[in-house]
Amino acid sequence: MGNRLLSMLMASAVLGGIAEAKTVIHVMHQGDPGWVSTYGEVAKRFEAANPDVDIELIYAPHDAYNEKFSAAVMSKQLPDVMELDAPFLANYVWSGYLQPIKPLIDQDIVGDMTASNIAQGTYPVDKELYAVGLTDSSVVLYGNRKYLEAIGARIPKGVDDAWTREEFEGYLQKLSKLEGVKWPIDTFRGYGIKTEWITYAYGPILQSAGCDLIDRKTWKSTGTLDSDACVDALTMMQKWVKNGWVVPQSSGTNQFFAEGHPAALALGGHWFYAEAAASMKDDIVVMPLPKFGPKGASPNGTWIWGITTASEHPDIAGKFVSFMLKDKQLREHAKETSGYPGLKSFAADSPLYAAGGPMAVAFEQASTTAVARPPHPAYPTITSAFMGAVDEIFNGGDVKAALTAAAEKIDEDIEENDGYPPFDEQQ
Amino acid sequence: MSDLAISTLPAEVTRKRSAIGSLRLIQTASILVIALVIVSPLLMLIVASLKDDRFQILADMGSFRAFWVPNPTLANFAEVGNLSGELAFGRYLLNSLFILAATVGAGLIVNSMAGFVLAWGSLRGRALILSLVIALYVIPQESIIMPLVIMVSRAGMTDTFAVQIVPWIASPLYIFLFYQFFAQLPKELFEAAEMDGASVFRIYRSIFLPLSLPALATVSILMGIETWNQYLWPILVTQTAYARPIAVAIATFFGQDSIYWDRAMAASVLMMLPILALYLAFQRWFVSSFVGSAVKG
Repeated sequence: MGNRLLSMLMASAVLGGIAEAKTVIHVMHQGDPGWVSTYGEVAKRFEAANPDVDIELIYAPHDAYNEKFSAAVMSKQLPDVMELDAPFLANYVWSGYLQPIKPLIDQDIVGDMTASNIAQGTYPVDKELYAVGLTDSSVVLYGNRKYLEAIGARIPKGVDDAWTREEFEGYLQKLSKLEGVKWPIDTFRGYGIKTEWITYAYGPILQSAGCDLIDRKTWKSTGTLDSDACVDALTMMQKWVKNGWVVPQSSGTNQFFAEGHPAALALGGHWFYAEAAASMKDDIVVMPLPKFGPKGASPNGTWIWGITTASEHPDIAGKFVSFMLKDKQLREHAKETSGYPGLKSFAADSPLYAAGGPMAVAFEQASTTAVARPPHPAYPTITSAFMGAVDEIFNGGDVKAALTAAAEKIDEDIEENDGYPPFDEQQ
Repeated sequence: MSDLAISTLPAEVTRKRSAIGSLRLIQTASILVIALVIVSPLLMLIVASLKDDRFQILADMGSFRAFWVPNPTLANFAEVGNLSGELAFGRYLLNSLFILAATVGAGLIVNSMAGFVLAWGSLRGRALILSLVIALYVIPQESIIMPLVIMVSRAGMTDTFAVQIVPWIASPLYIFLFYQFFAQLPKELFEAAEMDGASVFRIYRSIFLPLSLPALATVSILMGIETWNQYLWPILVTQTAYARPIAVAIATFFGQDSIYWDRAMAASVLMMLPILALYLAFQRWFVSSFVGSAVKG
């Protein structure tokens, strides 16, 4: 009996030793139930292929991701691999949280990245790649075919053919008087100001109108965000709201394809297509974003994967990232949710975005009009100040005053951080 | 006969009766409206949890259709009731129940003991300690949350049940509530027990605690609601699904691109039930405690 007990204890000690010998890779991510399940399955497949590695997934809700990340930084518990929103990359690299990823992942993945994907993962100071994603993103103008035909609207064929500001506002005016249309456009105010939506989707309207959130050479916002062009662009958007042309924030995010189709147009993300098309079938028209000034502009960037400087096993972390990006089931899930390709091989396997596909115009925007959000360490302040200003403007505030206050807030942050060296030398 | 009796009443009395009748009608109508306003969000939540189309739920929000479900289904509950898998909501609900029971159970013991000692103990500087306890109450949780995260992570408590229970057991508010209750009980009770040779702990356990049901009920409900609704703290200190509570799990339905209202509503109904049961179980003492506090001023 005693011998048996001794052997059991020895066996458990040996097994315990084996368990301890496993390398644990912590992976922090966000996502809805579909993505959470998919990441869990990928982790299991990776562990089956690499029995000496344990993948520990750390989930943080989308809305509280930054708080979770801050807590991880303060308690020195940064994960090995983390999902991050692309415009925050400059801040994370400048703060020393991320390490270059190019030497750590399979080189065929690096060669497979689209130009926009490389841009969203590259730090502008050392031009190194710090993060990689399977997907990217864009915003297009969705239209209800029946309503557009009823007002005799021209349907653009491609990015070069996009509506001008005059055309666009003329159609909004006509749609506002059309029977059945409650709101001419949904700009998805329903996403609120806790998400990146306002900066992500409305920023390109400013860029198309000839201004920006910040001067990307001097890294000063005053004189740019509150310039005449930006004031004019946001006065135009405020007019849409005042005229009752825009779906209000309280009406949610599906008025375009809700019963009765109360919204005629939708300035929506690529992810909106799957649900809208399933409901509207052939009645949905996908168009490029209008030109509000001399040139077209569209957003890019999404949640991508980086490896932190805290990782004790960056090589294994890189192996996991490569495995995940090549995982067939993960790609299938991305396709089901109309994932916008960030890898060329994924694009080739996505008929939705291929030439002649229903979302081809969205993919065309990536190589023609996409403008990344300002790649600067002050980005968290830039986006928060801009979103606050837009919210104030949409609620009837003075446009010039709101934009000037936001620009000053951004400049103050940059000054307080001594210009975020070496960004202060980049003029 | 009665008609005759009424007709003989002075006109002023009839007017007064009619005014009282109208007043009662207005009172009843007002109570009904207030009750309806209070109950309607709960009703809307339950109705939405029985709909299987998340877009329809959103579309119905602005109209009376939000209170009507033509084809009720329990599919959402089946999806959020699972005990295993990547998103084991049933398991997260059990996690929350365990955290609730442990926090409230330990909280009742620790806070009542502290309140008793401050009210009747022979500790020196009781008044100063009481002042410090009251002063602690005004410090908002948010301001100490990050230092607390660092402390628990250095103590190796991250991603455990203990980290969601231990820091919230002792609370200045509940210590003060118990202190107030115990201090109001007659001095003779304490002195008589002391003369009989009972120890301070015996007096607390056998005499004062059984008399403090209203205070125990009040603290149970307030502490239960506070623990049950914890959101930011578990996000910061839990990592994996092991000790994840239901409040954090529900946030999964509010994704980057989509909100899954159907399952979020079903999970919210499940989340609401235990705290509702707790309130119903203790409401008699809870209400009497509040009424008592009001009378005693």
